[in-house]
Amino acid sequence: MIKNYFIIAWRNLLKNKTFSLINIAGLSIGLACTMLILLYVKDEISFDKFHKNVNNIYRIVSKSKHGSVDYKNSHTGFLQGPQFAKNVPGIESFVRIESGAEDIKTGTEIQSQELLRVDPGFFSVFSFPLLNGSAATCLSEPNSIVMSEDFAKKHFGTSDAVGKIVMLKDENQFVPFKVTAVAKRCLQNSSIKFEVLLPFKESEAEAQNKDNWYNFFLNTFVVLNPKANLPAVEKQMQTFYLQEASETFKEMIKKYSSGADESMGTYFLQSFTDMHLSTELPAQNGLVNASNPIYSYILSGIALFILLIACINFVNLTIARSLKRTKEIGIRKVIGADRKRLVIQFLGESFLLCLVSFSMALLIVQLILPVFNNLANKALSFSYLFDIKLIAGYVILFVLTALLAGFYPALVLSNYKPIETLYNRINLPGKNYLQKSLVVLQFALASFLIISTFTIYRQFNFLTKTDLGYDDTNIVEVNKWQMNHTEAAYFKAELLKNPGIVDVAPKNLGQWMTSAKLFNDSTISFNYETIDESYIPALKIPLIAGRNFSGSYPSDVTNSILVNESFVKKAGWKNPVGETVNFFYNNNEIFKVVGVVKDYHYQALNQKIGPQLFTMKNGNLYGTFNIKIKPGTATKSLKFIQMTFNQTFPLSPWSYIFKDDQRIKDYESEAKWKQIIFFSALLTIFISCIGLFGLSVLSAERRTKEIGVRKVLGASVSSIVNALSIDFLKLVLMALIIAIPLAWMAANKWLQNYPYRITPDWWLFVLASLLVILVALATVITQAVKAAVANPVRSLRTE
Amino acid sequence: MIQLKGIYKWVNSGGNRVFLLKDINLSIKEGDFVSIMGPSGSGKSTLLNVVGMLDDFNEGEYNFIGQPVHQLKEKYRAQLYKSHIGFVFQAYHLIDELTVYENIETPLIYQNIKSSEREAIVADILDRFNIVGKKDLFPSQLSGGQQQLVGVARALVAKPKLILADEPAGNLNTKQGTEIMELFKQLNEEDGVTIIQATHSEKNAAYGSKIINLLDGRVEK
Repeated sequence: MIKNYFIIAWRNLLKNKTFSLINIAGLSIGLACTMLILLYVKDEISFDKFHKNVNNIYRIVSKSKHGSVDYKNSHTGFLQGPQFAKNVPGIESFVRIESGAEDIKTGTEIQSQELLRVDPGFFSVFSFPLLNGSAATCLSEPNSIVMSEDFAKKHFGTSDAVGKIVMLKDENQFVPFKVTAVAKRCLQNSSIKFEVLLPFKESEAEAQNKDNWYNFFLNTFVVLNPKANLPAVEKQMQTFYLQEASETFKEMIKKYSSGADESMGTYFLQSFTDMHLSTELPAQNGLVNASNPIYSYILSGIALFILLIACINFVNLTIARSLKRTKEIGIRKVIGADRKRLVIQFLGESFLLCLVSFSMALLIVQLILPVFNNLANKALSFSYLFDIKLIAGYVILFVLTALLAGFYPALVLSNYKPIETLYNRINLPGKNYLQKSLVVLQFALASFLIISTFTIYRQFNFLTKTDLGYDDTNIVEVNKWQMNHTEAAYFKAELLKNPGIVDVAPKNLGQWMTSAKLFNDSTISFNYETIDESYIPALKIPLIAGRNFSGSYPSDVTNSILVNESFVKKAGWKNPVGETVNFFYNNNEIFKVVGVVKDYHYQALNQKIGPQLFTMKNGNLYGTFNIKIKPGTATKSLKFIQMTFNQTFPLSPWSYIFKDDQRIKDYESEAKWKQIIFFSALLTIFISCIGLFGLSVLSAERRTKEIGVRKVLGASVSSIVNALSIDFLKLVLMALIIAIPLAWMAANKWLQNYPYRITPDWWLFVLASLLVILVALATVITQAVKAAVANPVRSLRTE
Repeated sequence: MIQLKGIYKWVNSGGNRVFLLKDINLSIKEGDFVSIMGPSGSGKSTLLNVVGMLDDFNEGEYNFIGQPVHQLKEKYRAQLYKSHIGFVFQAYHLIDELTVYENIETPLIYQNIKSSEREAIVADILDRFNIVGKKDLFPSQLSGGQQQLVGVARALVAKPKLILADEPAGNLNTKQGTEIMELFKQLNEEDGVTIIQATHSEKNAAYGSKIINLLDGRVEK
């Protein structure tokens, strides 16, 4: 019996090539998307679960109130780990992780290497297998180094590196470090990934200084006793903290705070496995691959959309085509089939189709996995598919898809009365609301995604093309940590000897936030920039009042500052030039405003411009150079800059980036989402359209007689094409009516994430709608024309 | 075997009741070969479908081998016709996607007969109908007469007590038609199969041992 069903199913598949192709194409794309997303989601939720002890590992975190703002902090200081472990009974051990970078010398080449400094218990808390060396002792000596197999191979050409020596910069000179262990490559689903581990450094003085409760720069993990009660442990931690640190806290407040309402904060524990997907307390500060669960939700949503649309094609086409199969159904009933068997038969057909699609999907997954990895920022491999849970997931997916696509048609088809089918008395429910609403649903989804794509493209364009308020072209950024003004001036003078270099503007590294008091004793926090007189002209930042720093005013290096418009606004100054700012935490130094610059986007456009203050104070260190070069001299100038850099700073690693490239890097995640949404829109509209094509073929076939009669009665070809296309276009229009308001709401919601954003214009929706209509029209019109130009005599005779 | 008492069947069309069958009283014994005659629209097919339980009726009593069909539930009725009745149609109604062999085999599959047994039964009937050479062909590759031959073979394969044939020769030329009628006669005489056929050919009707004339849903006396 199964064989008989199978034969019929197979022959039907071959006989109706168009429909099999439409269904298989749609379903295999849908299944492939879902498989990829399953892979993605599985990877996301498996993060960090490979550690043996994982259920007892927690991270020390805290929450506090600053005024009315709740603030959560995943950083800890020197003391939290050891103090809690010593004084709270449920805590068995702790590991502190500090991220950093050191210069490593290979031969004459110096490279900056990111690394983690960790407590000796690292390998007993976390399960990172070692290739060589002892897990218990490898981090107990101060000058030991643990490296990954990849790093060992890169550095020594072999993973058998234990006992070898690495030259590492420690306190301004290169010191030999002995390799004590080589670890296997960290798993891809690990929040802790390291190439190099060094023992954690802490002086006796630091360990005693209670101020270090408030010097937040570490991730501290603790292992709880399996029998310990989590809330009780947290309560004990807090009690201990309050009694231990309240004196210190009061002193700190007195010294640094502006008197705002500050609380001491509450310590609690975050489960290690919750960390990867936490948005409030993410894996950061040396922990990597932090993710937002929203990505899993959005991706799953999109994959299910695509699969749903493909299933709708199957349902619609099967039912629409069933008119042709009514005869077979009638005969089968007359010669003894009951309804159950027919249901089984039709389900069998959908299973067979799904099976073919499923195999195709596996192939597709294998082919596009690299592209997907790139898009989703993952390193998934095809072999991950062969995991018991995933296979179970896929089998469920397969069965569900086959049932979803096959069940309804099977019920409808098996319900036909034989007498009606055999005497051609059958008429499908003429209105066919189900089919129509399914088509509307498909196109609503597709239109929604297309409009979203348009919005994302425009916002992305806006982010990358908007005038930043300064000129970022032809500027090379070169980093050199911790450099005083004399060093910077020397380097600058050396560079300017080359005619290809227009200007050199040193600046502090990164963004510093600090606060100061204004004349009326109110506090203001701002971005604190240390620059020199070249910075404003080199970046072409417009001055709107006062003057730039200048060498001809000697006081500029002691007490002059520039501020931006936002600063002026926040401070509420009418005549900013001549106003003063008091750096209360720094011996109440008073600075005078000599100029105001126009607001410019010193950060990416997803950050709002805040108050900014510029100084060229002598004691502040520089960390980076903005080097303006002549257009078209990039290669030559870069070579010269590197040569000069190596001569001037022989112990520092060389790295550079063009400032306008930085801008593109800033929006990498937007660029990825842009691509993901673009591809999903493409796939949904494609699958929807092949479904629509199938329906138009069937509708043209079903209406051959009607068209023949109309033509005999004198209808023109164009009027028939209209009649055939208009029904489908009505559905597409309805879909647009549903999709447009939803897409508008979604676009607005998404754009709220950006302080600087486009407004979703009406023409954007019109354009997207026109696109959808055109694509749909192109799909149905070929069939309509074909039916309309057919010879009516023929179609009438064959009926 | 078959007793029809006061069978009425009607449809409502625009407020009027249109009678398809009117007060049909009929008794058919096992081994009969009955021809139902009448012009188009006289109710021949409807009567056959009522007897074959494919269609229901509005009034009257119908007993089939002692079972009161009018009181049976749909499910039992289907059971009854599946095991006792074979159908032959004017348009053959073979399944296009199946070969001759598979078409004949399908009723046996639905009766849960084992594969080895099925093979024997189908081989037997192919042999008897002289169509062994055609067993792997599809219906579209056969002539009308050959298709009807397969249709009859399929109707017979499950060894029904009764064959209902609706214009079995209607789509065939004279020679093919005669062959099919000869076959029916032989089945009736040699195997004792009860046959009811609907036809409007006097010549074909004459093969039957009993002729019923229908006009406007009524039996003509």
